[in-house]
Amino acid sequence: MSEPIARRNLVTEYRIKATRCRSCGAVYFPPKYFCNNEGRESEMLELDHFYELGELYSGSVINEPTKRFSHLNRFVSAIVSLNSSKVRVPGRITDYRPTGNQDVKELIGRELIPRFRRMYSDGADGLIYYSSHNFSFKDDYYPHQKYEVIAPSSKDGKPGIVGYGVYVPKFRIKNDEPALGVVERGVPFADEDTTTFAVEAGKRALIHSAVKNSEVKKCFVGSESAPYAVKPSMSTVIQVLELGERFESGFFSGGIDSQFACKAATDLVIDAAGLVTYPVFKGRYVMVIGADNAQAAPKDRLDYTVGAGGAALIIGKDDVIATLDHYLPYTSDTPDFYRREGERYPKHGGRFTGLPAYFKHVVTAMRGILKETGLAPSDIDYVACHSPNAKFPVQAAEDLGFEKRQYEPSLVVKRIGNLYSGSSLAALGAVLDIAKPSQRILLTSYGSGAGSESYIFTVTDLIEEKRRRLVPVKEQIEHPKREYVDYYTYREWKDMV
Amino acid sequence: MKSTPCAAIVGAGRTKFAEHWDEDPRSMIGKAGMTAFESVDKGIRRRDIDACYFGSFLYQVTNKIGLVPGYMSRELGMNVPMINTEAACASGGLALHNACIGLQSGNYDAVLVAGFEKMTDRQDKITDDLMFAADPHEFEAGYTFPGLYATMMTRYMYEYGNGDARCEEALAQIAVKNHHHCVRNPFAQFQEKGEITVDEVKQSKIVANPIRILHCSPVSDGASALILTRPEIAKQYTDTPVYILSSHEATDHVSLYTRDNITGVNATRIATAKALKAADLTIDDIDIAEVHDCFTIEEMFFLEDSGFYPKGEAWKHVYESCESFKGPSHIPYDKNGHELTVNLGGGLKADGHPVGATGVRQAYECFRQLRKEAGGNQIDRDVNIAMCHNVGGTGGVATVHLLARDLE
Repeated sequence: MSEPIARRNLVTEYRIKATRCRSCGAVYFPPKYFCNNEGRESEMLELDHFYELGELYSGSVINEPTKRFSHLNRFVSAIVSLNSSKVRVPGRITDYRPTGNQDVKELIGRELIPRFRRMYSDGADGLIYYSSHNFSFKDDYYPHQKYEVIAPSSKDGKPGIVGYGVYVPKFRIKNDEPALGVVERGVPFADEDTTTFAVEAGKRALIHSAVKNSEVKKCFVGSESAPYAVKPSMSTVIQVLELGERFESGFFSGGIDSQFACKAATDLVIDAAGLVTYPVFKGRYVMVIGADNAQAAPKDRLDYTVGAGGAALIIGKDDVIATLDHYLPYTSDTPDFYRREGERYPKHGGRFTGLPAYFKHVVTAMRGILKETGLAPSDIDYVACHSPNAKFPVQAAEDLGFEKRQYEPSLVVKRIGNLYSGSSLAALGAVLDIAKPSQRILLTSYGSGAGSESYIFTVTDLIEEKRRRLVPVKEQIEHPKREYVDYYTYREWKDMV
Repeated sequence: MKSTPCAAIVGAGRTKFAEHWDEDPRSMIGKAGMTAFESVDKGIRRRDIDACYFGSFLYQVTNKIGLVPGYMSRELGMNVPMINTEAACASGGLALHNACIGLQSGNYDAVLVAGFEKMTDRQDKITDDLMFAADPHEFEAGYTFPGLYATMMTRYMYEYGNGDARCEEALAQIAVKNHHHCVRNPFAQFQEKGEITVDEVKQSKIVANPIRILHCSPVSDGASALILTRPEIAKQYTDTPVYILSSHEATDHVSLYTRDNITGVNATRIATAKALKAADLTIDDIDIAEVHDCFTIEEMFFLEDSGFYPKGEAWKHVYESCESFKGPSHIPYDKNGHELTVNLGGGLKADGHPVGATGVRQAYECFRQLRKEAGGNQIDRDVNIAMCHNVGGTGGVATVHLLARDLE
């Protein structure tokens, strides 16, 4: 595929666009811009199936794939009939590992959800191609959620979190023994990467917030495992989620990919809050995503704590579920963990990553924000910290006098691993999943290199009402359809970036 | 039967279909063409040929040969009009169809039709290349060509198989039958491999479930050629021409997912009906047929799409025909005592399937059978009317030709 073909295709394939003739009702995929029946007189309506359900019409287990798909080993390709328009599209079943002799007749009629996944790439130095012509079973791990825009009941209040979404992949690996408290971790399926995580997290945040996608005019994606060294994941997120008002095949919105080890996303929450209060910006919402296919060299100590996934916040002033009340950053040039350009895996400075790096910055930021606000640990209901493992955040919290009931709910790292840029946002998500109105949350991130920032949020009454549109982190952690893989599979899939 | 045919075949030739590692495209084309010329009973000179029609699918990809007319002009030493036809697996059938139109136009008296393919020159890339015969969205959904036919087979078995094991059995029996037919065909790719059993098919490697390797036609190299003339002058070249009574092509969407029905091939239905009507025949008048069995399900589809068996019931009849077969020779499909023998040389499954050559090879086989020149593989009953059925892709195009030795 060439770059121009890729550009043309993605406009259709990222959201499974079809067209319908207003006169005769004929539906076309690939979309046609005039109707076979009505000719040039026809007026064609665009159909979008991104949030739709479909069902498996027929298919086959592809045991001997084409070279482009050989990295997926064996999979089901199928014809999918989409529920609303009844148009049929080709697709690949994802998050699913069939046996070679799987009887596909048994899968006919099962409901399917479109998923944004990677198809293949043109080698290590070529383009990576994505589409939503990948489907997972509705009765499997990934739930189907409708996206409904709801007009806000309260506008132009104090800025804060309007909605959020955390995405943990279906596949997991169990550690033989807990590694610094990490029992098991999320594993990217062979067609997942940081960009697909960012899209999933952003999609969930949109659904949860119920805000209009066209009113999200900025998107930040923080990561240290972006699929491209040069080319943002952010622009893919904007194209898939259609953030900003559409003009031709683009959108009036902006953003950037950011890098600051594990705090690439969290430090932009304050910028997002600043933007929505700045009149020149004109947008009502900003999306902040932290996503990573967390990298670690095979058999390195990190290889037993790294996870995969993403978390997204939508920041705005309308119908916030938690106001952003305080912010304090702390930064120093500390070379505790780094990766040079062109190197595959990051390096870390052994014990240097602990005391002079993580603890110094996290504790300084937390202590500083408490001092600045005059709050005591007892005034905080929940504390969520960046979680490279399950020991560090506990020690940091306890050093400041926090108790187990305050930090324990955020320790999802035990079951999903370290999401790098998504780590502290996923911890925050787990807390927001259970927080009650008026409760106060202290969030502190950490990024090697090094820095921390602390935020204090206060939960509003709206959190309860919006909760019904959530996919809680705990539900993902404990989902009965989660699947465990062995170390070999984990490494194979993780390294397919 | 219509007494005014559209063309006559006066000569036919082919190479053995095989993995011809030592042969280049030129030598295969040369052998097939020379054999066709030499087979014309009363002789034909190169300068009698007014035009050439070629069928090839992947030459540009497998051998970097793009301008086929110019390439063939050099190889044949001719400067006549030359037309290359690409219609995936129906390239050969469509070349033959175009040749018939050329002769019917009155512009030409005699033409050469040839099909060729050199698939093994791409080795393991051929799985990807074959997806040129499908829709790009299907490729991007991870599909392979066998995967697409497997999707049709899955739906067929779902709608009509009723969970009956005989349906799967029948799809294996088609492969067994076609291997049985190839053992006396010296040009067949699997002549040496010979007979196979239903159990072997059912236990063979899964390529794209439910399609197994022994449901599939092989990757092949080969070429085939025909000499056609206007029917009025055919007897200048031979006393026993084989007449092409009708020649029809029909098309359908390249993509499976946009078709209303994937348990058959609409293009086959249309082309067959038109060809039969044009020749004033019914399907029950056909004695033998060379059918496009790239995968065994496609032969099953033909038996229904052509109207020989009712929709959804072919598998029962295939099963019963094969189960009740006693004799040593060809295995016919039975319909209330009427016999239709399909793929006498082994079909694509066992004779081989060098894509562009197949449609022309089908006419070669019928030409030899109708003239009683098939040697040890000659059918053991008198036959006069034959059908050639060639499909491109998963049914994006189909050509049907009706052939007869005697017009009365």
